[in-house]
Amino acid sequence: MDWIIPAVNLKLILPEIVVCLFAILILVTDPFLSKERKIWSAHLSWIAVVIAFIANIRLWNLQEATFTNMFLVDNYATFFKFIFLAGSFLIILISMSYLKREEILHGEYFSLILFSTLGMMLLASGFDLVVIFLGLEIMSVSLYVLAGFKRSDLASNEASLKYFLMGAFATGFLLYGIVMIYGSVGSTNLGQIINHITSNDAGSNLLIWAGAGLLLVGFGFKIASVPFHMWVPDVYQGAPTPITAFISAGPKAAGFAALLRVFLFSFTTIKMDWTMIVWIMAALTMSVGNIVALAQSDIKRMLAYSSIAHAGYVLVALVAGGETGVSSALFYLLAYTFMNIGAFTVVIALGRKGQDNTKLEDYSGLGSRSPILAILMTIFLFSLAGFPPTAGFMAKFYVFGSAVKSGFTGLVIIGVLNSLISVYYYLRIVVLMFMQAPVTRTDNERIKVAFCAILVLIISTWAVLQMGIFPQSLLSLAQASVSSIF
Amino acid sequence: MLTGVSEAVYYILAAIIIGSGVMVVSMKNIFHSALFLVLCFFGVAGIYILLSAEFIAAVQVLIYVGAITILMIFAIMLTARLYSAQIKQSNEQVVPGLIIVSALLVITIFALSKTTWKLSSQAPETQTVAEIGKLLMTTYVLPFEIVSVVLLSALIGAIVIARRD
Amino acid sequence: MNYVYLIPLFPLLGFLINGLLALSFKTRSDEKIPGMSLVSWIGCGSVGLSFLTSITIFFKLLALPAGERVVQKIAFPWILSGTFHVDIGFLLDPLSSVMILVVTGVGFFIHVYSTGYMAEDKGYARYFSYLNLFTFFMLMLVLSNNFLLLYLGWEGVGLCSYLLIGFWYEKKTASDAGKKAFIVNRVGDFGFALAVMLIFWTFGNLNFTSVFENAPQVLAFGGGLVTAITLLLFMGATGKSAQIPLYVWLPDAMEGPTPVSALIHAATMVTAGVYMVARCHALFLLAPISMGVVAVIGAVTAIYAASIGLVQNDIKRVLAYSTISQLGYMFLACGVGAFTAGIFHLMTHAFFKALLFLSAGSVMHALAGELNMQKMGGLKKHTPVTFWCFLAGTLAISGIPLFSGFFSKDEILWKAFSSSSGHFLLWLVGVITAGMTAFYMFRLFFMVFLGKSRMNPHVEAHVHESPKPMTIPLIVLAVLSVIGGYVGIPKSLGGSNRFEGFLSSVFEGGHEVSAEATAHAPSAEYLLMIISIAVVLTSIFLSYRFYIKNPDIPKRLAAKYKTAYNILSNKYYVDEFYNKVIVNPLLNLAWFLWKKFDVLVIDGTANGIASLVKWGGGVIRKTETGYLRNYTLSLIFGAMLILAYFILR
Repeated sequence: MDWIIPAVNLKLILPEIVVCLFAILILVTDPFLSKERKIWSAHLSWIAVVIAFIANIRLWNLQEATFTNMFLVDNYATFFKFIFLAGSFLIILISMSYLKREEILHGEYFSLILFSTLGMMLLASGFDLVVIFLGLEIMSVSLYVLAGFKRSDLASNEASLKYFLMGAFATGFLLYGIVMIYGSVGSTNLGQIINHITSNDAGSNLLIWAGAGLLLVGFGFKIASVPFHMWVPDVYQGAPTPITAFISAGPKAAGFAALLRVFLFSFTTIKMDWTMIVWIMAALTMSVGNIVALAQSDIKRMLAYSSIAHAGYVLVALVAGGETGVSSALFYLLAYTFMNIGAFTVVIALGRKGQDNTKLEDYSGLGSRSPILAILMTIFLFSLAGFPPTAGFMAKFYVFGSAVKSGFTGLVIIGVLNSLISVYYYLRIVVLMFMQAPVTRTDNERIKVAFCAILVLIISTWAVLQMGIFPQSLLSLAQASVSSIF
Repeated sequence: MLTGVSEAVYYILAAIIIGSGVMVVSMKNIFHSALFLVLCFFGVAGIYILLSAEFIAAVQVLIYVGAITILMIFAIMLTARLYSAQIKQSNEQVVPGLIIVSALLVITIFALSKTTWKLSSQAPETQTVAEIGKLLMTTYVLPFEIVSVVLLSALIGAIVIARRD
Repeated sequence: MNYVYLIPLFPLLGFLINGLLALSFKTRSDEKIPGMSLVSWIGCGSVGLSFLTSITIFFKLLALPAGERVVQKIAFPWILSGTFHVDIGFLLDPLSSVMILVVTGVGFFIHVYSTGYMAEDKGYARYFSYLNLFTFFMLMLVLSNNFLLLYLGWEGVGLCSYLLIGFWYEKKTASDAGKKAFIVNRVGDFGFALAVMLIFWTFGNLNFTSVFENAPQVLAFGGGLVTAITLLLFMGATGKSAQIPLYVWLPDAMEGPTPVSALIHAATMVTAGVYMVARCHALFLLAPISMGVVAVIGAVTAIYAASIGLVQNDIKRVLAYSTISQLGYMFLACGVGAFTAGIFHLMTHAFFKALLFLSAGSVMHALAGELNMQKMGGLKKHTPVTFWCFLAGTLAISGIPLFSGFFSKDEILWKAFSSSSGHFLLWLVGVITAGMTAFYMFRLFFMVFLGKSRMNPHVEAHVHESPKPMTIPLIVLAVLSVIGGYVGIPKSLGGSNRFEGFLSSVFEGGHEVSAEATAHAPSAEYLLMIISIAVVLTSIFLSYRFYIKNPDIPKRLAAKYKTAYNILSNKYYVDEFYNKVIVNPLLNLAWFLWKKFDVLVIDGTANGIASLVKWGGGVIRKTETGYLRNYTLSLIFGAMLILAYFILR
């Protein structure tokens, strides 16, 4: 028997290796840390993210596949890994004080965050449906557990269980879709799939269509698109708040990374016209997300619906397609990561032990209790609503601009109307913060914000304003990232 | 292609799988459901043997029957309330559920029946274990490694959930 | 020259640090102001550093051959969207280098002065952060290489002006004045924004160099489009630079701290309009009608504001009207194509007007905030330094020969007369204004420093000279006010007018106009110069008669010409007129729109739609049952629809 070991270039997978090794290192060292020293696991984890980030920078402008064409490094993947790593870094920082406050500081938490990040990175780099599926699984399994990390809290348990059941169900669809594609193409490699589709008359091959549909269901679940969004509010509300922020940033972007890659690269629109169905999904996702957000009274739930709505905006970019469409989607996801994590950081800062203070009325009079927090929250909410000069405005501008250029004016009109609706519920919080007296409460002491959370607030504010006022540098990064997938 | 005897065996196995599958979701006693699940898995293993995939068949029996279902049965028997409970097996959305799922079924069958399947002209491998092992170590080494990470994170998850604080 | 970005960067950093300090101090309630010296060092240091950088860059620019003194530095692309391309870029040429020197130089001394003047104020750190922010925006304004960045700086200085006028926001008059400035400026800014849009629409570009280079090809000489653009630009300038009809905010702006009046409302921000017109001279020269409008509005504003200044009794208001009048001079210069003279006067004016305001601040400091000139007098012996500095400023602004104001003012008057677009009447108005200026400035000077004391004895006991941080900037500015004009001694007086030579590469188009002017014999120039000197000296003599020799003459005159006096002292009733004709009808209309139209029609519709949407939200929310079986059903339903669409297409 001949053994041909495929050529492996470990340099390409270095960021993933770093993240994985540190995750295991944390597991190994954590039991030896005394209760006071547990925070070292957190430090280890952000160090891992920073090292991976640096390793990732060295991969910029590289386009190379390894592991028998299953793992592809290109600017598209590298850009997404920047988003994931930046998101994870911020989440680790805000988690430290939160976990201490809730007295659930365990090393496994950070280990799971790293594993989840690893899964996302594999999703972005996977050039084979098997790798994409496995990446999705690593990411999801870790998230299921993280959502239920507050074990003494019933809501957290409920979130975890619901997320797990729904997630497993959706994964079933995804796997079934992969099987169908394998059945008709004979391979799971994205390159082989595109070859098969362009060389044969794939339009008449129903099995590929069925497979594509099921993949859309699976990814649609991860990005929380209507009608696969039902899990979002329950999970977002119940999960520990840093994890809520985490789920809404990284995994959503990772879902998009795989979705955009598979659909725009392999199921090229020239041969398979799936634009119409995504058009409908985008319109529904934006509308349902924004309209239901109006009726929420809990800020985590409200942000959950807002995150559904934002997935809709990114789907608009997918509909637009082309280089401008994808680069605007990348820019949008980057902007969303920062503004959303920023908003959640303020939400965390307002909480107390065992008392999250996430009702909307808890925000009354925040402007007088803590003006700086209120101003920062206003910046993040303005950005989410898409006001200039914030990142959210520029991101929406580019997405809608690319859609208009591709001729989807109708969808853009729906999108703009939705942005208008969203202004109502974002501004409602601003009005509460600055124009209402604080509710009488027993714990009216000063709000203390941990150093790491302040750091996160500074970074996010800077990013939101940087991308809003001087979007060019990051936009050209995004533009440089997309050429490889066409 | 399936011919003669093997075709007959295939239909018998299919009937066993579908029948026991229906029983799993319709039995009122969860313990009985678990037992039908064992039967269902055995049927699937039979299909694998029919397809000359002996290794997969063996793994199917080992893992699904030998580990997963047995674990479930243990869990049920150790939880007194579950063991004897009569579980409601339907709810208010029977009708819409039935319609939607049948529609999905019809569409899938339609798609499958219209497809021209890609058939391999090669003779079935005889040394499947060796061949699988070789592939896992060469072509599929990356997924193979990643699977271990999936299992590891699932393991940590189990520990986190089961741990006493 | 690659470090040009440092010039605005330093004040920006200063603003950020001081702003953070201000925020962190606010939460404490101790009596003493913490970190004052730190704030002062950061506030003055940042502007001082950019002053030093400006000097270095100025000399580097000077070292270049005259034809190559235009340097563009693109920091980074700012907005890129389709054909719309705007950079954060800096344009360094003789014009902007003069401006940065004035802004950072005068700004630096005023910062230093403020450390003494504001020492007792609770909002010390806030004050300095605003001042640094203002400096940043002002530098962006003058250094920008395109219209959009200029507009950003334009709005930015407007914002800082608003913040600083209303700095003592507890005082109602102060916050009202801030609002007035903001709203009046909005009117002008609206015109400016329209102009920028028109320019983009016409040229497809907002970069100065390319717009100005293409202007002669794209726009017809004297055509409607270029006239519209330039008039709209000038509308912006009238707002910012307080010209008729939008000047009304500037006198009220004196509610702000006095160094602010010196920096923003005399030396720098209000001259932004002049700078902008000079920067866009390539467009203005294509529109003779607009040039005429600029010259006439400038001349009328000059004489109009000067006449009001004759009878005011509030020391800062006299200076405010004087500023409006001097800005009119600058526009007069621009309107007759003598952009160099306009910028020259802008510079000398920055020196002596800043000096006058700061001296006035020093007087107020000595007199515990007294503003009424009727309650001053004989301050010479109490505050000698302020006295001498104020004298230097007064001589300079009056246009006494050998002082800086003389050269720049005479240059303008000469150009107004001799330039091809000038006119005898413009010159006449200018000379009369010069006489009035000399009169009211010496009136101010005599009433404050000489004669008998009319001070409240209680106040007089405590009169003192200001501390060093205040007097040193005064002395520096006094020196500048005296010698600042020597860079531009006209050729007819044996000088070489190096200032004009330096700026000539910028104003090539304008140079042609003034080149014709030199065709007149120098004897005409001497004659005009002598006439204006004679007018000024007569005015000073009259002023001396009125306020030192026979202090009752003014009262008798006021009684005799009661109507004229009332009109002047009530500033021609313009504020009242605006209130009656514009503000009140607007308020009434707004009230009507609000009560009737808005509440019934708009709100009705909007609320209707809003409640419909909200109701929809409530209905869909009901689908969030929390039961997994419902969620799963929805998921399968979606999957079924997608598959059905894909397969049954």
